Amino acid sequence: MKTPLKILTGGLLLMSLSAKAQMPNDAIYMAKGSVCIAGMYGRSTWNEYWEGPLKRHNENIGTLTTQNVMVMPAIGISRRVNLLLSLPYVWTEASAGNLMGQKGIQDLSAWVKIKTVQAGGFSLHTILGGSLPASNYVPDFLPMSIGLRARTATGRLLASYKHPKTGIYLTAYGTYNWRSTIKVDRDAYVANNRLYNTNEVSVPNTYDASVKLGILRRKWQTEIFAERMGGLTGDDIRRNDMPFPTNNMEATSVGWYGKVQPRHIGVNARIGYVLDGRNVGQSTSYTVGLLYQIDFKK
Amino acid sequence: MKKYSKIVSLCSVMAAVAVATVSCDKSITEPLRVGYTPASVDEKAASWKTYVLTAPTDVTVAAPTLTTSSEYQAELADLKSQSSSLTTEQQQAVVYWGAGAVYRWNEIARELAARYNIPPASNAEGKYPVPDMNNPLADPKFPFANPPYTARALAYLSVAQYDALVAAWNYKYKYKRVAPGKVDASVKVALPASALPSYPSEDAVVAAASYVVLKAMFPGEVPFLDAKLAEHQNSRLWAGMNVKSDLAAGADLGNQVAAKVMGRARSDGMGMANNQGATAAMIESVKSRGLSDVWLSQESPKRPPMLPTYGSVITWNFDEATKIKLRPAAPPALNSTEFTKDLEELRSIQKDQTREQARIANYWADGAGSYTPPGHWSRMAANAANDAKYSEVRMARTLALVNTALMDAGICCWDTKYYYYYPRPQQFGVKTSVGLPNFPSYTSGHSTFSAAAATVLGSVFPERADEFWAQAQDASNSRIYGLIHYRFDCVVGLQCGKNIGSYAVARGKADGSGL
Repeated sequence: MKTPLKILTGGLLLMSLSAKAQMPNDAIYMAKGSVCIAGMYGRSTWNEYWEGPLKRHNENIGTLTTQNVMVMPAIGISRRVNLLLSLPYVWTEASAGNLMGQKGIQDLSAWVKIKTVQAGGFSLHTILGGSLPASNYVPDFLPMSIGLRARTATGRLLASYKHPKTGIYLTAYGTYNWRSTIKVDRDAYVANNRLYNTNEVSVPNTYDASVKLGILRRKWQTEIFAERMGGLTGDDIRRNDMPFPTNNMEATSVGWYGKVQPRHIGVNARIGYVLDGRNVGQSTSYTVGLLYQIDFKK
Repeated sequence: MKKYSKIVSLCSVMAAVAVATVSCDKSITEPLRVGYTPASVDEKAASWKTYVLTAPTDVTVAAPTLTTSSEYQAELADLKSQSSSLTTEQQQAVVYWGAGAVYRWNEIARELAARYNIPPASNAEGKYPVPDMNNPLADPKFPFANPPYTARALAYLSVAQYDALVAAWNYKYKYKRVAPGKVDASVKVALPASALPSYPSEDAVVAAASYVVLKAMFPGEVPFLDAKLAEHQNSRLWAGMNVKSDLAAGADLGNQVAAKVMGRARSDGMGMANNQGATAAMIESVKSRGLSDVWLSQESPKRPPMLPTYGSVITWNFDEATKIKLRPAAPPALNSTEFTKDLEELRSIQKDQTREQARIANYWADGAGSYTPPGHWSRMAANAANDAKYSEVRMARTLALVNTALMDAGICCWDTKYYYYYPRPQQFGVKTSVGLPNFPSYTSGHSTFSAAAATVLGSVFPERADEFWAQAQDASNSRIYGLIHYRFDCVVGLQCGKNIGSYAVARGKADGSGL
C-alpha cells in the first residue's frame, strides 16, 4: 500500500491559482520521509466578469489571461502529518486596451495537514495554513495585479469516505480564510461608498467549500468537483470602475481533475470553470503538472 | 536522511513564520485631526479682499440680542441642557467637526469627488451617455467628477467659504457678541475656545455656504449633505460653543454669500465646457499647423474627449488675454529627435519599470475613482493649514488661493491640450501601469495642477516650499513612470503650472491680509 498513497500526494495539491491558490484539499498523505515535488503551469482566462451582480464585457480589457508556474513540495513528516509548500510566479496580460501586464513572485504558502480520525473508509482531517507575500508586487492595480498581498491564515476541516475495493471516494471540506490588512501605494481610496484617507486597506476574510467525487487507484485518479468561495464582508465593484481589494469576490465553479503516476514520475491536470460569481471574472482555468517523488527513507 | 531533516526544519520554520506574522487586527487607522485654539484669530480679516463679494456689506446680518436679554438667556438655558451630557455619537460628532469647519467640508467635497469620479460606461449602441444633472443618480451618475470638474467644485467651495468668513468676521467684530462659555462659565464647553466673537457662528457660516455649493455640484447627494449640515450645526450646540441665534445668523449669512458665488458659477462657461462640436475645428487647426497624427481616444468604443472646451471657462486669478499668453509653445514634431528620445524613454521604462517608479506612479495616479490631482493638492493644503493651527478664515483663504489656482491650472492646461491636440504615447504602442485619461497628451495635467498648487503653498508656507516643490516634481514624474506622458509634456506642464500659480500668489500678497 505504500506506493499509491505516497505518489498521489503531490498531484492533489493542484488547484486553480486564480481564486484561492494552492491549498491542500485532499485526504491523501505522503509516508514519512517521502517528498513529492510538483512543478506546475497554470493558465486562467476570462472575457466577461461580474461588476457587482452585473455580468459584463469590457472592450478595454478584452480577454484577461493569468498564467503561473510554481513549485510545490509535499513532505511526509509522519504517516498522519504532512507539510505542504508552494511558491508561484505569476504574470498577467490583457488582450485589448492599454493596461500593462504585471508579473512577479506571488505568495509563499505553507500548510500542515493532520489526519485526526481514521475509521474504515472514513477519515477526518484538519488543515492549517498561512501565506506571506514573497515580493513587493502592486496589489491594487486590478485586474492586472498578480495578488492582493494580504497575509493569510487558513483553517480547513475535511471529511472523506473512500470505498476500499473500488477506490470511489467522496470528499467535502469547508474553510475559513483570515486575511490581513494591506498597504497600498496611494494614500486615499473609496470603499464601502466612503473615502478612506489612509494607505491601509481591509481585505475581506473569505470562506470556501467544496464537494468532490472521484476514483483513486494505484496509478491514476479522476475526479469531478464543485466549489464555492466568497467574502464574509466586502463591497461591490462600482459601476464601470476597476476592481479593488476590498471587493467581495464570490465564485461558484465546477471542474475535473485527473492524474497518472505509474512510478516516481507522474503528470496531472485540472480544469475549472466559473459558473456564477460576483466581482470576479468568469474564468476558465487549467493547470498541468509534472510530479516527482523522492523517498529519503530506505 | 540528513537532507530530509533539513528540508523539514526549513519548511517548519516557514510555516511557523507564516502563522506567527499574522496578527488579528483588521481595523484601519486613519489620520486623526482634532480641534485647536488658532495661532491667531485674525481679527482684521474683515478687510481681506474677497473674490465674489465686493464688500462684506453685500450681505446683511441683523444685530443680535444682548446677552443680558431674556431671549438670549433662554437660548443659553437650552444650550446648557443640550451640552450637559452627550451620547457617544454626539461626542464623536463634536470631535469630528471640532477639527475645523473648513477642513471638514473640504474633506467632504473630496469624498464626493472620489465617489463620482468614474467615467460613464458605454451602452449597447456603443455610445457613452452624458450624465444628466436632472437625474443625477441614474446610470451614468451626474456628475462625472473628473479633474476639471473637481477643480471647479473645490474652487467654488473655497471661494464661498472664504468670502462668507470674511463677511462673518466683519459682523463678528461689529457686534462683538462673546461666546456662550464666556457669558456663563457654567456652560460645558467641549472644544478649545478663542477670543473670537461668536455671532454669527463661523461654523454655521461655513456649513451653509458649503452645503449650497456642494448641493449644486453633487445634486444626487442632498440627503447626505442634509445629514452633514444638521450634524455640524447640532455639534456646535452639543459642544456648548454657539447658541441657536449664533447658528441661525451664520446659516443666513452663509446662504446669502453662497447664492452670490453660485451666480458666478452659473455664468462661468462651464455649461459649454463639453462642446464636442468644437473638436473638428480644433483638429483642423492643429493639422494646418503641421501635426500629422492627432490625438485619438484609445478606448473602445471611442470615447468623446473629456470637456474639450473647458479651456474657455472663466479663470479666477488672471484674464483671458493672460491665459493665452500662458499657453506654452508647441510640442516637438512627431519625427523630431526630442520626440523620439522621450518616446524611447517610455519604452525602456515599460520594459524595466522599477518598484519605486511604480510606487510614485501609483501614489500620484489620482485616476478614476479618486478625488483627482486637485483633490490631492487640496488635501495637502488643508493638512498644512491645520498643522499650522490656522483660524477658519485663514484656512479658507489658503484653500481659496490653492483651489482657484488649481482651477486656473485646469483651464489653462485644457486650453493647451485642445489647442495642440497631441497624441498619447499609447498611440505608439506604449502600455500604462496607471490607466489612460481620455484627452490629448500635451501638456501634463498632473504637472500643471501640481506646480500651480505647490507654488501657492510655497508662498503661504515658505519654510515648506522645497518640500511642496519636490512633491510637485514627483507628481509630474509619476506620469512618465506611469507611461502616459512624454517627459516634455511634464517639463513644460510644470513650468506652466508655476507661472499660473504665481498669479494666485500675487493675489494673496495683495489681498490685505499681510500674509
